[in-house]
Amino acid sequence: MSFSTVLSAAIQGLHVEMVHVEADVSNGLPMFHMVGYLSSEVREASERVRTAIRNSGIQLPVKKIIVNLAPATVRKKGASFDLPIALAILASMGFFPEEQIRDTLVVGELGLDGSIKEVAGVLPVVMQAKEEGYRKCILPSRNVREGALVEGMEILGASHLMEACRYLSGECKSGTVSEGMQKEGWQKSGEAAEDYSDIQGQEAVKRAAEVAVAGGHNLLLIGPPGSGKSMIAKRVPTILPPPVREESIEITKIYSVLGMVDKEHPLITGRPFRSVHHTVTKAALIGGGAFPAPGEISLAHGGVLFLDELAEFQKPVLEVLRQPLEERQIRITRSQGNFVFPADFILICAMNPCPCGNYPDFNKCTCTPFQIQQYLGKISQPFLDRIDICVETPKIRYETLTGERRQESSAKIRDRVCKARDIQKERYKGRNIRTNSMLGVNELREFCSLGSGEERLMRQAFTSLELTARTYHKIIKTARTIADLDGGGRIREHHLKEAIAYRTMDKKYWGR
Amino acid sequence: MVYEYWLAAMQGVSAKKKRLLREEYGEGRAVYYIEEIQLRFLDFLEDRDVEAILHARKDKDIEKDWQRLAEKNIRFIPYFSKQYPNRLRQIDDAPYALYVKGRLPEEDRLSAAIVGARKCTPYGEETALEYGECLAQNGIQVISGMARGIDGAGQRGALNGGGTTYGILGNGVDICYPREHIGLYMDIQVCGGLISEQPPGRPPLPVYFPLRNRIISGFSDVILVMEARERSGSLITADLALEQGKDVYALPGPVTSRLSQGCHRLIRQGAGILISPEDLLAELKVLRGPAVQKSDKNKKTLENHENVVYSCFGFFPKGISQLLEETGFCASELLQILTSLELKGYIREVSKNYYSKTR
Repeated sequence: MSFSTVLSAAIQGLHVEMVHVEADVSNGLPMFHMVGYLSSEVREASERVRTAIRNSGIQLPVKKIIVNLAPATVRKKGASFDLPIALAILASMGFFPEEQIRDTLVVGELGLDGSIKEVAGVLPVVMQAKEEGYRKCILPSRNVREGALVEGMEILGASHLMEACRYLSGECKSGTVSEGMQKEGWQKSGEAAEDYSDIQGQEAVKRAAEVAVAGGHNLLLIGPPGSGKSMIAKRVPTILPPPVREESIEITKIYSVLGMVDKEHPLITGRPFRSVHHTVTKAALIGGGAFPAPGEISLAHGGVLFLDELAEFQKPVLEVLRQPLEERQIRITRSQGNFVFPADFILICAMNPCPCGNYPDFNKCTCTPFQIQQYLGKISQPFLDRIDICVETPKIRYETLTGERRQESSAKIRDRVCKARDIQKERYKGRNIRTNSMLGVNELREFCSLGSGEERLMRQAFTSLELTARTYHKIIKTARTIADLDGGGRIREHHLKEAIAYRTMDKKYWGR
Repeated sequence: MVYEYWLAAMQGVSAKKKRLLREEYGEGRAVYYIEEIQLRFLDFLEDRDVEAILHARKDKDIEKDWQRLAEKNIRFIPYFSKQYPNRLRQIDDAPYALYVKGRLPEEDRLSAAIVGARKCTPYGEETALEYGECLAQNGIQVISGMARGIDGAGQRGALNGGGTTYGILGNGVDICYPREHIGLYMDIQVCGGLISEQPPGRPPLPVYFPLRNRIISGFSDVILVMEARERSGSLITADLALEQGKDVYALPGPVTSRLSQGCHRLIRQGAGILISPEDLLAELKVLRGPAVQKSDKNKKTLENHENVVYSCFGFFPKGISQLLEETGFCASELLQILTSLELKGYIREVSKNYYSKTR
């Protein structure tokens, strides 16, 4: 046999494309040639593969070796093709029967000594292989736990090229991952170290966070430096409902593509929390590159994206968030094609009320009205429109800080949140809506009808507080969530009143 | 007249010297054509001044500028005009000329200046509004600088009260500064006037602002200082007013507030104390018509727990955390109460979740 095919995969964005690695060893001028739309790191594989095979004690024949990675229209990147190329060549040399490796997915990077190194993106690759009907795969041994998250796959972990060869030539049978390890992957990691009971005081902010999480609303915290804005934001994942297995896998897939999963406990069982520094670039935030990779907003998928010092972010960077906040995914278009990354997160922003942070404490604030206005003006109205809840985090007083009052734990808050989320799930069954924050104007009319007393209150608020249509809708949505936390009945006056207090102020009223 | 305008708009020569020149030669045209040697011969002019005059003669646009005054409806009133207000003639270093959009304050009507900090507390702002309104209702002209904060609030109050108010600007009267006061700028032109000693087109530079303070005090019979830090522009106005022999009143505030320290100093130095608009009117002996009804909202319309929260408010805005501690309500309850109070118009949100009492 002088020709063989090995199955591998290329990752584009989050999408996996199965790739057939074909090798042909034939008579002719001795050469090693690789074709198939390869990036430079795949091209370099020829050197690694030849050296690794030689160092494993196998003499490459003096023949013409052609390697093709099909389909030729898909760009191949990364070092994960080393192992499939090596195995394809060895199979066509007749080193082991070609049937052994047919329909087996192979990924792995080779070292010059023939050792197999871990690669990124194993989880999505194995999932795709399973979907396309393959049942066997050979992975670097350090990636075995990650691959084992996919149930019903026969997985072999190999740490050296020879180990893989021995298995394929039938010399040894062991190495297949048992069912045990597959089960083991799905284990809850220990409870998070952070808890809401760590925070003394800040009752109003905690309540606002609870409402925000219960309805999936975005949250803006305004307060002086050192008032615990980041502390509160960091604990929001602890009151989010825990992810179900499908969600966990979806989140882990994103982290896997970027090579960010833990090799020992690959499955991410908590809600992600991504804190982004204000120097972040557009590409790092939403994902990018010539062949786009997911950015921070996709890493925050299913969890929380936290932007501290919101006013310090470059305006264009914030504006790119507008579309993903609306659609809960990001569509990046490059000349190579369209890439869609999930980006369903709760956005939490924090900022100071003025450049020095002390407004409206007139004894301390040294800013001029103009400075304050300029500072607040850095955030555009369309961006503010996407934030439903806005709350102030006051400076903590000594008495509060040292107080002995027992604070409510995250678990308790999470129970209430889960109940409110269940009510929403029931209500929006059969629709493309999961939380109140996703309600459109038409759905508002359907699910958030107001009684006559409530109608009167909103009419009064609309005129006396000079609300805009958009703020009006945001208030109704937030009130719906508050009512859901309250058992899910009709929206009552007191729900509306609380929601009104959470409204984001229109920019023109800021900093008066 | 264009020569008079040339003399008035000339930069680098003080108003006093311009006046002396004008008196010496009788008219602006004559000043324009004095020989350089003659200028150097005048003992009240220094070399610097002569250079400035010679430089000003080279200005070719002066005629166009003069025509633009009429187009923009701006009146030019030099010191020697009969229309020049007598009140200003009496002050030291009277401006050489005034540019007016709208009217000048009436000579025989009482006028009061409301001045204070640009960055003021809601307390100062509300009080300025109230005084402006009350003075205007009693026929007193309100003079101020149309600045942010107290100035603007006082003038807005006067407009609310249906009276007249005059804005003394530190820039050309064709420029609206600060820009967000464009509404005020338009209204004052109709119900009063905008006045400046700077020719049109002059940008708002920091040096011009202390200068216009003497005009504010010059036009006024009494000066009301609402809120001022120590060493502030408002205190300059008050000092100038004292030099000009005008009465100064200051609004007291909490001793802990830096924004009231300037006022307290004035009171210690003998300034009048602002207790209520009625009290002030009685002192000025102008109480006409019915006294303004003080709204007594606090009494009946509030529910019990609303009253508990409302009574926590004092001079300054309060944040939610402080209110939570003082009232003992839980967060969602308190937010509901605050919203009802806001809707009923008792308090307003001055910054996010900071509320302040309204009057």
